[in-house]
Amino acid sequence: MPDADQPILAVRGLHVEFDTNDGVVHAVKGVDLDVRRGETIAVVGESGSGKSQAMMAMMSLLAANGRARGSARYREKELIGLSERQLNRVRGKKITMIFQEPMTSLDPLYRIGRQIAEPLIHHGGYSRARARPRVLELLKLVGIPEPERRMRSYPHELSGGQRQRVMIAMALANDPDILIADEPTTALDVTIQAQILALLADLQRRLNMAVVFITHDLGIVRRFADRVYVMRSGEVVEQGSTEAVFDRPQHPYTKLLLAAEPAGRKAPPAPGAPILLEGDNVEVTFRIGGGFLQGEPMLLRAVDRISLTLREGQTIGIVGESGSGKSTLGRALLRLLPSEGAIRFGARDISKADREDMRPLRREMQVVFQDPFGSLSPRMTVGQVITEGLLVHEPSLSRRDRDRRAVEALREVGLDPSMRNRYPHEFSGGQRQRIAIARAIILKPRVVVLDEPTSALDRSVQKQIVELLRDLQAEHDLSYLFISHDLAVVRAMSDYIIVMKQGKIVEEGPTDAIFDHPREAYTQTLMAAAIDSTRFRSSP
Amino acid sequence: MFGYVIRRLAGAIPTIFIIVTLAFFMIRLAPGGPFDLERPIDPLIMENLNRAYHFDKPLWQQYFIYLGNLLQGDLGPSFTRRDFTVVDLFSTGLPVSIRLGATAIIIALVFGTSLGALAALRQNSWVDYAVVGTATFGITIPTFVVAPLLSLVFGVMLGWLPAGGWDGGRVANMVLPVTTLALPQIAAIARLTRGATIEALRSNHVRTARAYGLPPFVVVVVHTLRAAVLPVVSYLGPTAAALLTGSVVVETIFGIPGIGRYFVQGALGRDYTMVMGTVVVIAIFVLLFNLIVDILYAWLDPRVRYD
Amino acid sequence: MARAGDTIAETLTPGEAVVGRSLWQDAWRRLKRNRAAVASAILLLFLALAAIIGPVVVPHSYDRVYPQYVRTPASLEAYPQAEAIVPEFESVLSRARVTAGEVTVTGSSVSAPISSEEPLDPRIVRYVDRSDLFESGRIEDLSADGKSGTMAADVIRVRFLFGTDGNGRDLLARILVGIRISLAIGFLASAMALLVGVTYGAVAGYFGGRVDDVMMRVVDILYSLPFIFFVILLVVFFGRNFILIFIAIGFTEWLDMARIVRGQTLTIKRQEYVQAAEALGVGSIGILKRHVVPNTLGPVVVYVTLLVPKAILLESLLSFLGLGVQEPLTSLGLLISEGAANMRGAAWMLIYPAVTLTLILFALNFLGDGLRDALDPKDR
Repeated sequence: MPDADQPILAVRGLHVEFDTNDGVVHAVKGVDLDVRRGETIAVVGESGSGKSQAMMAMMSLLAANGRARGSARYREKELIGLSERQLNRVRGKKITMIFQEPMTSLDPLYRIGRQIAEPLIHHGGYSRARARPRVLELLKLVGIPEPERRMRSYPHELSGGQRQRVMIAMALANDPDILIADEPTTALDVTIQAQILALLADLQRRLNMAVVFITHDLGIVRRFADRVYVMRSGEVVEQGSTEAVFDRPQHPYTKLLLAAEPAGRKAPPAPGAPILLEGDNVEVTFRIGGGFLQGEPMLLRAVDRISLTLREGQTIGIVGESGSGKSTLGRALLRLLPSEGAIRFGARDISKADREDMRPLRREMQVVFQDPFGSLSPRMTVGQVITEGLLVHEPSLSRRDRDRRAVEALREVGLDPSMRNRYPHEFSGGQRQRIAIARAIILKPRVVVLDEPTSALDRSVQKQIVELLRDLQAEHDLSYLFISHDLAVVRAMSDYIIVMKQGKIVEEGPTDAIFDHPREAYTQTLMAAAIDSTRFRSSP
Repeated sequence: MFGYVIRRLAGAIPTIFIIVTLAFFMIRLAPGGPFDLERPIDPLIMENLNRAYHFDKPLWQQYFIYLGNLLQGDLGPSFTRRDFTVVDLFSTGLPVSIRLGATAIIIALVFGTSLGALAALRQNSWVDYAVVGTATFGITIPTFVVAPLLSLVFGVMLGWLPAGGWDGGRVANMVLPVTTLALPQIAAIARLTRGATIEALRSNHVRTARAYGLPPFVVVVVHTLRAAVLPVVSYLGPTAAALLTGSVVVETIFGIPGIGRYFVQGALGRDYTMVMGTVVVIAIFVLLFNLIVDILYAWLDPRVRYD
Repeated sequence: MARAGDTIAETLTPGEAVVGRSLWQDAWRRLKRNRAAVASAILLLFLALAAIIGPVVVPHSYDRVYPQYVRTPASLEAYPQAEAIVPEFESVLSRARVTAGEVTVTGSSVSAPISSEEPLDPRIVRYVDRSDLFESGRIEDLSADGKSGTMAADVIRVRFLFGTDGNGRDLLARILVGIRISLAIGFLASAMALLVGVTYGAVAGYFGGRVDDVMMRVVDILYSLPFIFFVILLVVFFGRNFILIFIAIGFTEWLDMARIVRGQTLTIKRQEYVQAAEALGVGSIGILKRHVVPNTLGPVVVYVTLLVPKAILLESLLSFLGLGVQEPLTSLGLLISEGAANMRGAAWMLIYPAVTLTLILFALNFLGDGLRDALDPKDR
């Protein structure tokens, strides 16, 4: 029995390099890391910090153009440079892994029962027949309902959360020493996230295995990890017990990360501010299937009789998980989608307005989308992107005037105006989102629908965008419809919150009321899953 | 499954009907007729001929007569080969074409998939470059260049194999035509397999299989190649239909009595029934193989099993 | 890719506007680094120039028949060769009914002493000129009685670098014409397919719904027809001419183009930048012009480069089957077909056109692959 303090996995001086067309990229630059028996560690960092690649290197899963140097010892066995055959005595047996992408990590061509059985057969010496009861047992362990039936399912017949449970079952099959969880909940909805995390924490305690969480989410770290490694640009900048790192961060980057949680509140709008945008029993129905010679289409009510009132200077946060209809509602209110029910903008009823009728109003109601990579036309320069709206609404402007306006708008969103002749692909995600915001505000709108504007961004960038949006709102007296699944961001942005589920409003009310005293069970689950991140695991 | 096949076969009927109709009227709208190209015939005989072949009736009546005969499996007499019916010609020619085509497909599948998979598993090695280079060559050089060159080199210059002829389907006579037919298909299948295998190897589920320490055989054969074969299966449908119904070029150059030449000959000789017969046979093959491919695909990929 | 740009964008100090690199410029740079593609482009340019200028430079016209040079092998030497000159000159002189002495060949002229019973008729030089081997026949050193002299003539030296065909026409000249026809049909037919396919696909994709359903159903039905056979039918029944061939090929090849463009249009329509433009109030025309068309262009360009060799191949196949352009005009497919018929004993008739066609197709394929890699660099 080895000493409990003796690490079962010791990584020393791990380097990872990739050969690319632009030269060698040094993704991991000398990482040291220890995992002790039964503990939970977290490797935290933003995208591109090399946290995943370090783990992949250890498991010899790097892409073909990647190379690993250094040392990773598992119980005195060097993993780096080990032959595939030798390595396979460890991979999937002693060290297992679950991945970020539950939708694609299972082979779509085989039943899940067979896939869970594979590590049992190849490591545990099970026969196919003897593996079956063990697979059932594992499926029960990870909480898959009707395991007998589910064993015979194909991955595409399972939801994302269920697939991640199947992955966990596979990982547990041979009672591993270490489970590496690479962003296991990032692709899932918050309530599912909470369930998966709770399951992992529970299993970790019961089976006494070590868990390595790779994550960008500080909430997860705080709640589950004993120790934490903070990574940035391929290096570990800080490490220590979770409490120590969170309470007394040493490195400036850690401080920045910790401060990156969007904080503060928005100043409330003037009382009795006039109503700007009003929806009354708005309904959006999609037809699925049907069409030429294909029979009756299926009708899906994405937005079901929703009413809301947006006042001047107000921000309404619309919260919900994927498929709740929140984005559809935003688009319907802007008349970008056909809808039923009444929509009024100012004094005007626009629910029957067609494209031509809407055109003059467009400059007053703008939208910023989620995906900063998809929302900018890749073949236009940033200047052209920003000023496209001016072509429509102020056609009398000369090219020089438009250029001047582009410079102003870029400056306003905190970008260097000399970048206006560059193309979107030359900018980072946060910069692109600023460009998208510049495109919206150049028209001096009154309402802006913000459709998950921060979801694709790293935390530290999110915070900057949130602050930018709040500043712009104060300066131009804008009204926002802020659509997001991220409650921390919503809280920092909104005066009033609407919680949506399956096209309907579950609960609504002023921000503080919703956060402090959620009435509905669903809202409570959402809040518990997302906000409750103040508790340290080791001090329950 | 059975119901699905029945429905698909039923769905093919209107398509065949459209093809037959289009082909029928296109041929008839063209100038010239089957008896124009010969020496002037006695008007009386001409009249008799026209009556015998219903050319004296309006076109729409001829169309319905043809449809009626077609339903009874009668493709009519050939105009250029007076002693034979079209069905006779096909029943001797089709087996020859099928034999050549089927051999070529099997060879192409075996060599194409193994070369492609090999290249993918040894990506960026000399094996890979050799396969990719050869495949580009095989796809680029047209059949009508390969066929005469093979015949020239192995038949005429070296004298190892017959430069042409069928001779009842002796193996020696089949080598060159089968090679000609198989080469571009080997190349195409190898390229497809290579691309699909590389993609599959990079996929997340193969990463999972490797992360779980499954033996290389399981990773490659079970989790990679099954996915990699899918695009080959899709490719095979129209290709198999085309190969089995004979190749004009190969049959012309090697002098093989298949049905590949009938269409061009029939079209040149205004042999209406021959052209129509070829169109019908080819359409049936195309539809049949599309069906087979769809069934095979569904069997391989559970995601498309919707009935 | 984005990363490299970030650092530049972030480190630059404010000042004059910086000019960015568009995706086209990126693609162009990547293409220039692809040696196979560059070599192919140069080869194609060379072949195209040869096809345009070549027929003027080559001393033979593609339809000029040299009856005495039927199936002459390819050679750098000029014809006629010395051993062929003497008997031909002798036979010419015997046809002129004069008694000839020893024939001497010096350089490019030939001469022989001649004599006759009667005074020599100066018109007998016509017999010499009538031969394809000689020109400027003349009688020199005429004796006083006019009964003897020296018949001299210049030998017409011709070279057939690629040999001659079964009718005694220069193969090089014919191959150059063949390249011209092949490239012209390849590009015209692709342009045709491009026009029809892009219009059809963009309309179906942009309008969507019912229109899209019906239009794509039509394409599906056309797909299941053995289309190459309809081309053959068209050509057989409506005559063999250049225009018809390229229209026919264009019409068979537009289906894929229509599908690609429709798919692209549908994808682009769903992109957030199009929705953003709609939210800005940009009209249909502006969206098509600024967003949809520029973004479909990449895949379309790639597909066109693959379409050109396909069209050339199809034309060659038609010509090979004897359904292409008509004599004396020729195309590579026709030349290969004649070569295949004459390969026993005249292998060059097959080899030269076959090599030329293969080179063209290779170059186009490599160029197409290079363009695809350059425009769609995800496969790195």
